[in-house]
Amino acid sequence: MNTISLRHIIRALLMLLLQVLVLKRVGLSSSWLWQYGDIFIYPVIVLLLPFRLSRHYAILIGFILGLTIDMFYDTIGVHAFALTATAYARGLLLAYLEPRGGYQLSMSPTIFSMGINWVLTYTSLALLIHTFLYYTVEVFTFVYIGQILLKTLITLVLSMIVVMGYHLLFNPRT
Amino acid sequence: MNNLLQFVIRYSAFLLFLLLEVVALLLVVRYNENQQSIFAHSSSKFVGKLYKVADDAIQYNHLQQTADSLAGQNAQLKEKIFNLERSLQRLIPADKPLDSCILEPFKVIDAQVISNSINQRNNHFTIDRGSKDGIKPGMGVISMHGIAGIIDEVGEQYATAISVLNSAARISASIKRNDYFGSLVWKEVDPGHMVLEAIPRQADILIGDTIVTSGFSFKFPKGIFIGTVERFWTEGGSNYYTVEVRLHEDIATLDRVYIVEFTGNELATQ
Repeated sequence: MNTISLRHIIRALLMLLLQVLVLKRVGLSSSWLWQYGDIFIYPVIVLLLPFRLSRHYAILIGFILGLTIDMFYDTIGVHAFALTATAYARGLLLAYLEPRGGYQLSMSPTIFSMGINWVLTYTSLALLIHTFLYYTVEVFTFVYIGQILLKTLITLVLSMIVVMGYHLLFNPRT
Repeated sequence: MNNLLQFVIRYSAFLLFLLLEVVALLLVVRYNENQQSIFAHSSSKFVGKLYKVADDAIQYNHLQQTADSLAGQNAQLKEKIFNLERSLQRLIPADKPLDSCILEPFKVIDAQVISNSINQRNNHFTIDRGSKDGIKPGMGVISMHGIAGIIDEVGEQYATAISVLNSAARISASIKRNDYFGSLVWKEVDPGHMVLEAIPRQADILIGDTIVTSGFSFKFPKGIFIGTVERFWTEGGSNYYTVEVRLHEDIATLDRVYIVEFTGNELATQ
């Protein structure tokens, strides 16, 4: 196991802890947030996976990670569903956002490597998919589509602030 | 097989994604009360709908049976009504000894018309009841909206009846409002109208008056609705009105009929 893998694993664990120990409580503590939104940072674990990692692994990781979050949130399957979809969408987004020269071996999906515009587009699209699917499966019917969209919007904005904050503060290389 | 394999390999990521999503959804439904109830609700709705469709299909097969049993019940009810009406008529004078034979002289048998005609000079129809069901020649045949004819020839299984649209049919009918009576005959060609003859000139008739059976012939109980007066006139020099009656029953679409048997015949004719 090389250092890069180890770095990814440790970061994933830390983000999981941040999500379930801090961000979940933030969501719970505020009645306004509890009603209308949440803050998700854990999708970034999947989004930060190296370019060269095959889509299968990404999807599998997304599923397992989602299930892990579900255990903490007591929503078995909901996060797993959303994150699996996000992991699949990651492959499509990467193909869509591929730079002219293609991805180099040295590249990673970070501001350091790809620039802030690329990361902003990539992260916001992926998070949009994630949150929308999350709230859809949570309610499990499209009857409340208005509420789903409102929650999606609020959660997307809040999550983007946290995720971009992470990117800007820590400026990860890989 | 090779193509299939290539397909699986080519779309393996997508298939894996689908598989995991299905697993996730199963988990969602299995372990979350809210989603579980929604899923159970909609699936029960779906299953219910499916059952309803299947039931409807089976019901359709049973329609004939259901119609038969309903017709049978209808016949019983008609029988009761005729008998009750007759007992009422008998009760009003209340000076004659009552006899159960007089009280309940009518029997009603339901039948299905299996062949019919309206465009001949003398029309007949055939019913699916015969002597084994107690049909005898001379019985009156009534239908849902009026009268249909009189039983003519009876076989074991089937019987033919002369339709009201037959030159041989003469039915005693009266104007309901004032009880003037005459005989109803068919003047051919038009299956929707019959003519009531021999209504005296002093009778007051209005267009739209109700014509019912008079109850004098015992073929039909009194008071069965036949039709309404469409127009009336006097033939030159005659003392009687000729009344054109619009039949309420469409003989062309005759389907379910009821045969009326008058069992008090011998007594009544005495």
